Amino acid sequence: MNVAACSLEARELTLAHDRTPVVVDLDVRLPAGQVTAIVGPNGCGKSTLLAGLARLHSPQSGHVLLDGNDIVRLPARELARRLALLPQEARAPEGLTVAELIGFGRQPHQSWLRQWSAEDRRVVDEALAAADLHALADRPLESLSGGQRQRAWIAMIIAQQTSLLLLDEPTSALDLGHQLEVFELVRHLADEGRTLAMVLHDLPIACRYADHLVAMREGRVVAAGPPGEVVTRELVRELYGVDCVLMHDPQSGAPILTGLRRIR
Amino acid sequence: MSLLVQSSSSRLGRTRPEDAVASPRGTRRLAWRGLSILLDRRTLRANLLLLALVLAASLAYLCLGEQILSPADVLAALQGTGDDLSTFVVDALRLPRLGAALATGAAFALAGCLMQTLAANRLATPGIIGIDNGATAFAVASVVGLGVGLAPPAMALAGAATATALTFGLALGGGTQGYRFIVAGIGVGAVFGALTNLLLARVAIDVANAAYPWTVGSLSARPAGAVWTLAVGLAIGLPVAMALGRSLSLMGFSESVARSLGTRLGRRRAQVLSTSVVLTGLAVAVAGPVGMVGLLGPELARHLASKRSVPVLASALSGALIMVLADLAGRLMLSPLEIPVGIVTAVVGGPWLLWILIRPRSHGVA
Repeated sequence: MNVAACSLEARELTLAHDRTPVVVDLDVRLPAGQVTAIVGPNGCGKSTLLAGLARLHSPQSGHVLLDGNDIVRLPARELARRLALLPQEARAPEGLTVAELIGFGRQPHQSWLRQWSAEDRRVVDEALAAADLHALADRPLESLSGGQRQRAWIAMIIAQQTSLLLLDEPTSALDLGHQLEVFELVRHLADEGRTLAMVLHDLPIACRYADHLVAMREGRVVAAGPPGEVVTRELVRELYGVDCVLMHDPQSGAPILTGLRRIR
Repeated sequence: MSLLVQSSSSRLGRTRPEDAVASPRGTRRLAWRGLSILLDRRTLRANLLLLALVLAASLAYLCLGEQILSPADVLAALQGTGDDLSTFVVDALRLPRLGAALATGAAFALAGCLMQTLAANRLATPGIIGIDNGATAFAVASVVGLGVGLAPPAMALAGAATATALTFGLALGGGTQGYRFIVAGIGVGAVFGALTNLLLARVAIDVANAAYPWTVGSLSARPAGAVWTLAVGLAIGLPVAMALGRSLSLMGFSESVARSLGTRLGRRRAQVLSTSVVLTGLAVAVAGPVGMVGLLGPELARHLASKRSVPVLASALSGALIMVLADLAGRLMLSPLEIPVGIVTAVVGGPWLLWILIRPRSHGVA
């Protein structure tokens, strides 16, 4: 599956919940073809930022630009063909099978008189293969394990055939093995040229799997760049109020935090 | 221009040509040039079964009553070759009432299915969230002569719209998904129910008595013209609802999923809501509040049809079937006395409602 690289950036973006600003005057850019992790303490506005990037949350001021065009001006279906979002705790109608769920990813490419094309069939097959779900294609979603279900949801947004994928806490309810299942899939998608961004609350995991890190606190970006460069003892202290010893993974070179201690 | 029908069934072990498009399991794909439509086989079977049942129930409806006619007599009367008595019984008495039963049943159930889908809750039918009662109160106001001169369909529509607006207003902030919406609706319904009783208490006892069967839901007092207005409403509402089918399926997802798949959710919700409210208002104008059909119809449809999509047509057919059978039962049980159809459906629907309330909860449509 070849996809053109695509850029998404926020300029002076302010997002508010009932007039209380949650994301304040924020500039951020998702590097094309890379995995960006958005991290920060609870309530720092990272999920709101993701919703704003996907136009699920209208800006109070500022802009989100997709390949230089303000997303506010894009028609809904056009946007859905270029940008996909997997929200936290996504809910599907009861009784859907994995293949049926993935078929819904084709929605932006279909119409009332074009309900199922050869292309739809091929793309759903590819999404099943990418997420390694062929064996489970006809199983009801409810019967899957947490990791399998999350892979099915990711396969659905793969079938959307967008070059941009946004994932909100894709592994928050999963154990270690199932987390790896999801992150390996995410890496695979980026290696194929897609641009991904995920909100994560786990900084070490973010360092391990992301090419680009955006660290947020109180609605603002406090650091952005490759994890190896931006993650410092000071940053961890500023974000989480935690003191730590910083080491580097001998295998990947990613930063590892150890000796964690909460600062009063 | 051949219509190419492909089947995904592999039971016969057929090999597919390489370029054929296999449709998802359990569906049939109708394709012509670049256009393609997916038909769900289970839903298709359910619709055919329901249609057959509706036809059978309709024939029984025309045959049975105080005057029992044979199917042959009924068919002869329908073709205009019957004797005077059976022609009178069929053409003047039973056929118009059958038409009203079919139309109101279909409208109530379709409205119920749409509202349930919108609210993602099986309890959220127009009957339960007060729309039926609002329409009834307004229609009764015009019947008992409050000096408001609109025709019953218009009054019922105004009542349905008012009740909906009030329910939305009271549930403000909670949206349509969640119990707040339903509780607000139950409250609004109670107020309008009381208002109807108040109106009836103010008028002479014979006027109130005449209006009584209508306020509990009955097909015996059909205002002239209301059935035709409803027929027009259905002729528009049913295709609209079927065209909204794909958006309806997406309403079963979390809002953020539906929106990021490119659905203009606000617009679609407004269309679904207004279709549901209009159908309810028009049906109440004919038969009064037979709200239980809005609960029972979609329930039967969901049981028979595939879970892949929202059973719009199957709901309408189920509603028509239930209404015809319920009115037939109401006519026959204590013949020559008549039990209003609203009471028959309430007796059947009450226990069903209880079951929905107490059954173990699961994900999806609660």
